[in-house]
Amino acid sequence: MDANEFDRLLKVCRISLNHDEKDRIINDIEEIIKYFNTLNEFETGNTSESYHAIRIPERLRQDKVEAFQNTNGILKNTKTYRFYVVGPKI
Amino acid sequence: MSSSIKEFQSKEKPEGYYKKLVNGLSEVNKQLGAFLNINETIKDGFPFSVKDNLCVRDVETKAGSEILSGYIPPFNATCVERLSSSKFSFLGKTSMDEFGFGSFGLNTMCVAKNPFNTAYVAGGSSSGAAVATSILKYHVALAESTGGSISNPAAFCGVVGFTPTYGAISRYGLVDYANSLDKIGIMARSSEDIRTVFDIVKGPDSYDSTCVGIKFTNVNNKKIFLIKQLLDATDEKVRSEFDKLVSKIREMGYSVEEKSLEFIEKAIPAYYIISMAEASTNLAKYNGYKYGFKNENFSEEYNRFFTESRSKFGVEAKRRVVLGTFVRSASVKEKYYRKALKVRSLLIREIGKLLKNGFILTPTMPITTPKIEKAVSLTPVEAYRMDILTIPPSICGFPHVSFPYSYPNGMPLGAQIISDHFNDYALLDFVKSWETSFRYKFKYNIGDIR
Amino acid sequence: MKIGLEVHVALPTDSKLFCSCKAYSEEPNSSICPICMGLPGSKPMLNEKALMLGVSIAKALGCKVPEKISFSRKVYFYPDLPKSYQITQVDAPVGHSGTLEADGVSIGIRRIQLEEDPAKIIREEEYTLLDFNRSGVPLVEIVTEPDIKSEAILRAFLTELKSILYYLGVDINKEFKADLNISVAEQRVEIKNITGTKNIIDAAKYEIERQNKLVSANQKVPSETRSYNEAKMITVPSREKESDEEYGFIYDPDLSEYSTASIKAKKAVFASRIAKEYASKYKANAQTLAELVLFNRDALEMIERWKEKYEMKALIGSIELLEKYGIMDINERAMARLLDMVSKGSYPDKETLMKIYGGEEVEAKQIDIKLIDKEISEYIKRNPRIVEEYRKNPKAINFMVGEITKKYKVHPRIISERLNLIFAGK
Repeated sequence: MDANEFDRLLKVCRISLNHDEKDRIINDIEEIIKYFNTLNEFETGNTSESYHAIRIPERLRQDKVEAFQNTNGILKNTKTYRFYVVGPKI
Repeated sequence: MSSSIKEFQSKEKPEGYYKKLVNGLSEVNKQLGAFLNINETIKDGFPFSVKDNLCVRDVETKAGSEILSGYIPPFNATCVERLSSSKFSFLGKTSMDEFGFGSFGLNTMCVAKNPFNTAYVAGGSSSGAAVATSILKYHVALAESTGGSISNPAAFCGVVGFTPTYGAISRYGLVDYANSLDKIGIMARSSEDIRTVFDIVKGPDSYDSTCVGIKFTNVNNKKIFLIKQLLDATDEKVRSEFDKLVSKIREMGYSVEEKSLEFIEKAIPAYYIISMAEASTNLAKYNGYKYGFKNENFSEEYNRFFTESRSKFGVEAKRRVVLGTFVRSASVKEKYYRKALKVRSLLIREIGKLLKNGFILTPTMPITTPKIEKAVSLTPVEAYRMDILTIPPSICGFPHVSFPYSYPNGMPLGAQIISDHFNDYALLDFVKSWETSFRYKFKYNIGDIR
Repeated sequence: MKIGLEVHVALPTDSKLFCSCKAYSEEPNSSICPICMGLPGSKPMLNEKALMLGVSIAKALGCKVPEKISFSRKVYFYPDLPKSYQITQVDAPVGHSGTLEADGVSIGIRRIQLEEDPAKIIREEEYTLLDFNRSGVPLVEIVTEPDIKSEAILRAFLTELKSILYYLGVDINKEFKADLNISVAEQRVEIKNITGTKNIIDAAKYEIERQNKLVSANQKVPSETRSYNEAKMITVPSREKESDEEYGFIYDPDLSEYSTASIKAKKAVFASRIAKEYASKYKANAQTLAELVLFNRDALEMIERWKEKYEMKALIGSIELLEKYGIMDINERAMARLLDMVSKGSYPDKETLMKIYGGEEVEAKQIDIKLIDKEISEYIKRNPRIVEEYRKNPKAINFMVGEITKKYKVHPRIISERLNLIFAGK
């Protein structure tokens, strides 16, 4: 992975690294991807993909309203202004 | 070893029992770092601890991460809720690798240490849960495993660690690492205690779509498979101890057969690809304005605000977010993410074939407990390779139990027994019969009643 | 020129797509829970009705509905998106490969997907304000092929689509948003997040003209994302959104796959098709009939009920009248009386109509057309400029029509018809 591609990835996932972290992580990542690439030596043919390890029985929820009783508990973890949650500038 | 829960309930508690318990625990915790907080108001019930990635209402829940510091969940995880309403009492949150990212409990601010020798690791990522179980006489731990995070520390700390079939216990209230792999499990000092807790917390939940209400089986064919490639990956010292265990198990009436599964080591890269891909989406929400840790610079443009907030992730979390984002990028997704999902299918099919006819037994870890300084020096790939024995059952969602079987040089060793999906009770029965002839050792018995 | 659309509509459910919170509430952040706030540890649970409605829309638009549908995570960062990923559909959406006929043109429907709405975001100078009541509201996204080749077809497509959605119970006035893809030349320009039909059409008009100007000046049209400024009625370049590469879609492992076989889809009603068919079968004006029934299930019901028994023209006139006074439950006998009056050219006022509705006998007089013609001629004599004004603006005669309608209780359409004949000098 070249430095530009690495920087692009960091931007995509909104991660910034200081100098030390960057040196460390870029080398690690190189090695880890090499390790991941070993998977491609392995022939999987037309095997289907397993999104889960077991078959998940389908479960749906009836369209019924049930209010959550502790909305204050949710909002306490945020900064609020007149019942709105404050977020960063756009 | 019998049920400590029944024993506890039958015993008269001396006056001030819980206060003494809290004090005794707080004292020892200073050296061992198992608990992030201790519930000083506990006054009745059988104590249980909760891994820090499980939500406990009104108790700070950080999943071992600074980015969640100050986060107070407004609800209980389903397993916490169910235990709390069954004569069990919350004792405290236990330390862990940040978001479960680690095999030695070192990727966090509060490092739990091995109770047998504090120079050694406790294992990870459920480090605190294992240490808590190892030092408390009457206690069970709610823990969680994604790729071996229960087996691993249970083995290093000498306790029994049960990871049920994927979907057996509701994940509602679990701070997600990798949703298709995360399993809530239990640690205790005996299989009996685990069974008691499992009976309470398992079963469908209207808040978790992947939690199933399937009937459990209990099939034991008195057959044990050993996997050649897994034994080859184990170091000599562990191997010779494990061979002795195999002989004992033969004496218990089991027939033992060695099998070869050529591609089993492919489970490791497949596991890390899937888990990192999912983790990188789960960690996208930590942007500094909704859960606890608050960035107050709202006038910063949102991209800069988010990036600045996300600098609170630890190095391993950053590494996994970047890698996870990479492996699911549209241009390489086929090569990594989708490929890993296919490998998972093959692993389930091939390992599943063996498990139809018997259990698989492996050492839990391929090495003896490492010293902290040694574990710190491992490169990521070296560390990931240490998970070779715990990842195969984990990626396939097969139930497994790690149990102590030997104490060379005074440090515990654990072995791991694996079974087919939903045959969880057969494993607990197996460990129970092991416990009739083998006594586990503990260095501390905090909360003992004489 | 090619236009493609991505239309978002909110589904008529009581609760949200993945949690039990009330789907539509006023007081900010009053209808929130750990799930729609994306709190760590919360998990989604799919709303049965939203799935049924999604499948119903897909079937109405002639889509193929996969045996099993699934959900994916679309990762992007914006303050209104609580989990920083949206649960949407990629690999197996509720529908794909459909078509919709609009004004005789077949518009391809590429895909239809169920997804969750983000929170409502209010931009302030130094921060944003977020209302999570909207977070998790069930949306359906309808993606067309770039088969729309004119503004007229765009308009027809939107009307047709809205009519179908209306008959499936979707409140099309609640939330109707679209992204437009317009390419006059090679390059494609995307205009994001336009609210309401009028704005969608105005934005398209502006953008077509803008691109045409660039092309005729031999300039390149840059491929870009733009947004529509409602106040100024122009499109302007906007923030570049992430591409598929960055979204990094993965299967949402918190959900399972869902079978569609046993879903009882709502039956679609194609009101415009019915209007066309009845207009030719029962000899009525197709447009008048369409206008009456496209967004009015009561009117369509009455037409269906009485179409064989009464003359269609009178039926349409009567229903229009009932509509005007909000009467939707008229009985057979009263309706017969009303139809009798209307078919004789009479246009009852409110008082008379209420009498009929109440079951009273009302005498139906045959309107004497000659009398009307005379009245019109006299009016023109008094106001000779009206003919000139009418040619410039047909609305100029509205006042006169109103006067005569009132005086003779005759249907305004009859007056218009007579007027046209008189103005044409016949």
